Amino acid sequence: MRNELDQQLASAASEAQAAAQTLDGSAVAPSRNEPDTAHPSASVSPQAPAEERPRHRCVELGRAVVITSGKGGVGKTTVTANLGTALADAGKRVVVVDADVGLRNLDVVMGLENRIRKHSLDVIEGHASLDEALVRDRVRKMLALLPAAQNRDKDEIAPEAMRALVAELQERFDFVLIDCPAGIEQGFRNAVAGAQEAIIVTTPEVSAVRDADRVAGLLSGAIAPKLILNRIRPQLVKRGSMLNVDDVLDILRLELIGVVPDDKDVIVATNRGAPVVDIAGSETGAAFRRIAARMLGEALPIPALSDRSPWFARMFASLPFGKRSSTRGS
Amino acid sequence: MMDANVFVVTSGKGGVGKTTTTANIGAALAKLGKQVVLVDADIGLRNLDLVLGLEKRIVYDVVDVIEGRCQPRQALIKDKRIAGLYLLPAAQTKEKESVSESQMEHMTHALAGQFDAVLIDCPAGIEHGFRNAIAGASQAVVVTMPEVAAIRDADRILGMLGSRRARVLINRIRPEMVKSGDMLSVDDVREILGREILGIVPDDEEIIDATNRGQPVVLDGARRLGAVYSTIGRRLLGEDIPYVELPNDGLWLQLRKMMAGLR
Repeated sequence: MRNELDQQLASAASEAQAAAQTLDGSAVAPSRNEPDTAHPSASVSPQAPAEERPRHRCVELGRAVVITSGKGGVGKTTVTANLGTALADAGKRVVVVDADVGLRNLDVVMGLENRIRKHSLDVIEGHASLDEALVRDRVRKMLALLPAAQNRDKDEIAPEAMRALVAELQERFDFVLIDCPAGIEQGFRNAVAGAQEAIIVTTPEVSAVRDADRVAGLLSGAIAPKLILNRIRPQLVKRGSMLNVDDVLDILRLELIGVVPDDKDVIVATNRGAPVVDIAGSETGAAFRRIAARMLGEALPIPALSDRSPWFARMFASLPFGKRSSTRGS
Repeated sequence: MMDANVFVVTSGKGGVGKTTTTANIGAALAKLGKQVVLVDADIGLRNLDLVLGLEKRIVYDVVDVIEGRCQPRQALIKDKRIAGLYLLPAAQTKEKESVSESQMEHMTHALAGQFDAVLIDCPAGIEHGFRNAIAGASQAVVVTMPEVAAIRDADRILGMLGSRRARVLINRIRPEMVKSGDMLSVDDVREILGREILGIVPDDEEIIDATNRGQPVVLDGARRLGAVYSTIGRRLLGEDIPYVELPNDGLWLQLRKMMAGLR
């Protein structure tokens, strides 16, 4: 019973392998999470029957990544769903965790809202097993969702409980992507508790950048966050009405892991409960796939928007971010 | 102790436009000759000051007022562009838990006696900051977008507002997407939420520009959305007015038709 989901994942590995080949043009590397060499026959590869896998594996833990932002509505949930999808297509076992107790939305964005039986609080409180709570994606067998409770409060989870839950997920998945709620209250503290990595999502707007700066400050020390700049509209940047990539990096000084263009594809996809990475020809979807590849260690260049807006540079020099905008670029 | 002239602008989901809405309705009411104070309740992640372009003039904040380090008058920032508009900024380095609901209620009650309207900019979510923001408000503007996630959160928020009079503002509607069936229509939203619609604001790039410049669209006569917020402001204060006549270009024409369908 406990390994039900593992078995489903294992049987799906071959499909995912094919998908991975189209993603990076080469055969998929063995998962870093496959059982250690002491049990070569107990691989999670498609050839190995699931029954042969030992129950108490000594495995390398998966990567727990929190997707956060401070400000709401910048695209955390969309980023989580799409990176999860793209990583699953790359042959990784992925669980996306909705940490927005009381205002869950990851299930809607993934089109899984009607399949929810139990949620993370049920697991934490011992009312359900992880297998009962995990919802497998409709299309990708390597991808699962751990939904949040909708009628409960964020204060009902303690960071320690969340940490234990994430640790358990890390034993079973290559990636645990945690969709953080907006704000910096208890829900935020819970969402970051179990993560070893963080991705801060921001948009090229002063308020979003300011909040991202605040969150980066709250994370620093524990985690070195990476940055996704979401919803860039190149024509607005050109006109000088929107911050460009350099402006944002000057202020935040975080490692940039991707730039995602604004696209109504995302609204369409969200309302349909399908990931935008599945929309053929979508630039936004392609950007998410590149970010997933970078998370897996590929050195893909990030296309730079070189237009600089002088009045923004001036304005930011005077904004109370505690960091001065640099002289880089011109 | 909920005063009739205390309004909370809330949404559940973040990024739907609470702060922009607060700033622009506030500016619109001030332009109509009202005395208006905007309260930023997003302690730790304040942004209303940026949207209003008043960030450099902050000396005291809402937590200073509540903890008695200054008089309310000292913390209020008077907007120099328009008479009657004031901002009470949030603290940036404090936590939302440093203020209690009763303290917040007490403070908004004091403001309600001095102003025609008190507009409270609520933080995203439904945690402590939300409970503080709604504590002293008798009326609510629930901002949502024609998107499933935003609607779901708005629905959840409406259920948490108790006996407050709550009206829905549909923000960032894109008529061309509604037409193509890729976006929920006003009727869809009204049907799902089952509440009175306070107003409809189209998605417009000028909002991004205005926000980044700290210049609410209402304060710039050349901006298209100014009239939209004026009407919303008047409805908020109880006027029963039909949906506003909009400039007659393609996108707006469609929107006007949609609005006509609402009545």
